[in-house]
Amino acid sequence: MIPIILFLAPALAMALFIFRSKKLNAVVICLYSFTHLACSVTLLVHPASYGRYFQVEPLNLFFLVVLSVVLAGISVYNADFTLKSAVPARKSTYYSAAVLVFSAAISGVVLGANLGMMWVCLETTTITGAYLIYYKTGKEPLEAAWKYMFICSIGIAFAFVGLIFLSLAFTGSQPSLFFTDINAHAPVFNKFWLKMSFVFMAIGFGTKAGLAPVHTWLPDAYSEAPSPVSALLSAALLNSELLIIIRILKIMKIADLGGFASAFLITMGVLSVFVAAVYIIRVGNYKRMLAYSSIENMGLITISAAIGGPAAFAAVLHIAAHAFSKASLFMTSGNILKRYYTREINGVTGLLKADPKAGWSWIAGFILLCGIPPSPIFLSEFIMIRTMFGRGMWWLAVPVMLLVTIVIYGMASTMFKMSFGNPQKGISQERFNILNYAGQFVFIAVLCLLGIYMPKAISDLITAAASLM
Amino acid sequence: MTEVLIAIFGITMLYVSSTSRVEAYIRVLAVQGVILFLMVLLDHAHLEVLNLVFLGAETLLFKAIIIPVFLMFTVRKNNIQREAEPFMPSFYSVLITTAIFAFGFLIAFWASSNASNVRPLYFGVSIATIITGLFIIISRKKIITHVMGYIMIENGIFMLAMSVVGEMPMIVNLGVLLDLFAAIYLLGLFVTKINSTFDELHIDSLTNLRD
Repeated sequence: MIPIILFLAPALAMALFIFRSKKLNAVVICLYSFTHLACSVTLLVHPASYGRYFQVEPLNLFFLVVLSVVLAGISVYNADFTLKSAVPARKSTYYSAAVLVFSAAISGVVLGANLGMMWVCLETTTITGAYLIYYKTGKEPLEAAWKYMFICSIGIAFAFVGLIFLSLAFTGSQPSLFFTDINAHAPVFNKFWLKMSFVFMAIGFGTKAGLAPVHTWLPDAYSEAPSPVSALLSAALLNSELLIIIRILKIMKIADLGGFASAFLITMGVLSVFVAAVYIIRVGNYKRMLAYSSIENMGLITISAAIGGPAAFAAVLHIAAHAFSKASLFMTSGNILKRYYTREINGVTGLLKADPKAGWSWIAGFILLCGIPPSPIFLSEFIMIRTMFGRGMWWLAVPVMLLVTIVIYGMASTMFKMSFGNPQKGISQERFNILNYAGQFVFIAVLCLLGIYMPKAISDLITAAASLM
Repeated sequence: MTEVLIAIFGITMLYVSSTSRVEAYIRVLAVQGVILFLMVLLDHAHLEVLNLVFLGAETLLFKAIIIPVFLMFTVRKNNIQREAEPFMPSFYSVLITTAIFAFGFLIAFWASSNASNVRPLYFGVSIATIITGLFIIISRKKIITHVMGYIMIENGIFMLAMSVVGEMPMIVNLGVLLDLFAAIYLLGLFVTKINSTFDELHIDSLTNLRD
């Protein structure tokens, strides 16, 4: 199953160049995404590894399933985006090929059992991602793509320095970048090199995960990328980077440096939530608002993962819930952009009257994202705060709660301003077909289900994943 | 011998921080490429033949020839002014770089007292190069100098990887392949397009996106 996930996409991407048809591009991406979903479900039932480099265990299996569902939902939206886009077929083919390779590279990061291999896949996501952000061409997308490429490549270079230090940390054994070897030797690692390595890797991989203070590429990239790409970046890419951070945190815990690593990651996490809270209340562009919300959620997940214990469960649940709700919101933001021709918040009013389907999924997505019941994020944030108080970390819990409240206030005032009132003149009256809404509806339904009644199979899956953190 | 090369490498970085001419930067990159090539040759005991050929060709062809030539071509084609336009006078720039080098050696000696497998000179110059590269990126205004700063960071990382090559030969190849790919990608795809989109290759033109 793993070879299908990893190698089908590049093969299909090459095939697309032979035919160069928009219809085929749209269909092939859907085909790949649903094959991906089928493979993930099969792996869930019959875990099977592929060589030493790609392995499945409960932790990355959970990430893989989340990735598959997100890809499937976005691919449906992307189909209409590809068919209706005005670009020539040649450019559409480049775009689709990049989406396919990007998806496969993210799967490679998720499935990787070797830090070097994950690093290579990460590099691939950076390069293809830069092309996808530049898709619309022009001044602003170019600036966004340049910043993304430049900041992330420096981050990746830092992560590589971390890998070099990690290989220095091995004492008395052959250095290796396989997690099984690293975890086995971690107790006897040289502590000095391991700490250095962790700092570089946390900053390097944290750059791509959108953690403050190295998040600066993220709002620009998300606001300028086409909506399916924003959804992919936010819901698929960020999770895979978090998986790497969770894995290196695990190494630190085994090496008995968990306290140092947790303190470092909690600092980055709180800083992320702080940055998001400061910017989100005065942001003028709704896609940027969603981007800052991604930074906030990445911060919260990092804090949960760093605290550990019951909060590990919260972190895993939060990852899935954030991915689904953010993918849904970014797709809806694409619908809003198509109807109002603007990304400015002030240019959008009366969404509920102009387009009820988009309006309600916009509001539902907001409710689910901000942790208002029945959202699973309510559960995850509650467990996180509860764990903090349980450990006497009220000095952390209180500021985090305050900052999260500010973020919710900022988002709510924007969301309601856009949704209610009367739509202005000059907006598009076109009726968009169901492909534009299907993904969002499915994500919202899944999240409500998870929040109200979580099937035992899923909660077992989350528990198994959290137990490996 | 390797020590001499490393010392020259460090001096090139000091030179970069003192000068503000774009051509001088390009020449320094070529010199650094040759130095890295010689370092690979001197380290042949640790490398397999195939690996040695790959790394040698990569450093000599890419780092010492193709990248500088390509950069020079870009500068000429886009009529980039020679002045790198630093934000600060070169005197302060040299002062800061010297401080960075002192810091690099401080870390190196601290590290060597903590771990036996560290060569202080190797390690100190590599770390100082990486940080100086970042400093060049921050303190110069032109986009093309950003790319050069990035390549200097890569050279520093390459040297750092060479210092552990005895223990893990694969890691050098890993770093080389994709970092260079990224650098070429940066140049080829963006610099030329940025020039036709923006009036000048200047980071001031990259400030449209903000809150």
